Amino acid sequence: MGRQTQFDQRVMPHLDAAYNLARWITRNDSDAEDVVQESFLRAYRFLESLKETDARPWVLAIVRNTAYSWLRKNRPADVVPIDDAGVLPDDIETAGHLSPAETNPEVILLQSANRKLVNQALEDLPVGFREVLVMRELEDLSYKEIASVAGIPIGTVMSRLSRGRDLLRRAIDVRLRRAS
Amino acid sequence: MEPEIARDATYYRAPDALRQRIEASVGGLARQERVPAMRRGFLMAAAFAAVALVSWNLALLHVAARADDTAHDVLSAHMRSLMAPGRVVDVESSDQHTVKPWFAGKLDYAPPVHDFSADGYPLVGGRLDYVDGHPVAALAYKRRMHTVSLFVWPEAGTADTQPKVSTLKGYSLATWTRGSMRYWAACDAAPSELARFADLMSSAPG
Repeated sequence: MGRQTQFDQRVMPHLDAAYNLARWITRNDSDAEDVVQESFLRAYRFLESLKETDARPWVLAIVRNTAYSWLRKNRPADVVPIDDAGVLPDDIETAGHLSPAETNPEVILLQSANRKLVNQALEDLPVGFREVLVMRELEDLSYKEIASVAGIPIGTVMSRLSRGRDLLRRAIDVRLRRAS
Repeated sequence: MEPEIARDATYYRAPDALRQRIEASVGGLARQERVPAMRRGFLMAAAFAAVALVSWNLALLHVAARADDTAHDVLSAHMRSLMAPGRVVDVESSDQHTVKPWFAGKLDYAPPVHDFSADGYPLVGGRLDYVDGHPVAALAYKRRMHTVSLFVWPEAGTADTQPKVSTLKGYSLATWTRGSMRYWAACDAAPSELARFADLMSSAPG
């Protein structure tokens, strides 16, 4: 199989996932495009290192590395180290998925309000929490996959998810209280 | 309704323009790798072949021209020795142990000297001559009524070659190398007779 064919078949299907992660890390459309473009050229060059497993974590790891390099260069203040020494809470998977969206206008209004709220709160989270939440909640990656993408132990993935959800909930509460 | 990431956070999809840009640049990379690699390889091979061909031809021409020059030189030396009485040999002896030491002190190398009387090529003697731009050992042999001239000089770095017989102006010539020595033989006998001499000489011990 040719290199380009292999790239088209194995890497290109993860373009949306790549863009979503890059967009959530950089918090900017054009920066995310630059990051993804660079990442995919790298992926093409490093295609030999892609093993016969799911390519998505591999692609996302490249995107994440590229995005972090970009952040360090352009917005170093965004890259805040996270203290992972905190105690792992008992309720790791507290935030379960809710029932499917309903369709009455009130709910839609509420939903769009929630959308804005969640997006802003998530964007305001430190990038270390933001990325694991995006990978878990939006990409549905396993703990193991997130660990390999972010280059951190699985235990750290779990604690960051838990603390990230806590932080997000608090940020949302603060915004709701401020709004009312 | 509680706000929740999986439902409320935006899933950003890659713009079509980005997809097209990536496809274009990867396509470019692929072409760079594929076509120019082939073209570069081909051009380099072609250039190399052309250079090799030209230098090979030049080398052949050069070697041929040099060999040709030497052949003329050898034949001239052979004929001069026959025209001038007393020029055939300076040391007249069928004894190789007389002829060989005669060269000592006259040349900075010792030409192999053999007598092939038993094979019909008796040694007549030796002399100095001047061939191919340097003084050389010249040996004279008899083949019935014919005189065979053998010229020997060092030629460093050449592998041994089998005798190659040719004719020039009705004369037979033979040349070969052995033990870093270049041999040229000239004679007005038939090429086969010179070839036989060349075989004897080139296979003689030492």
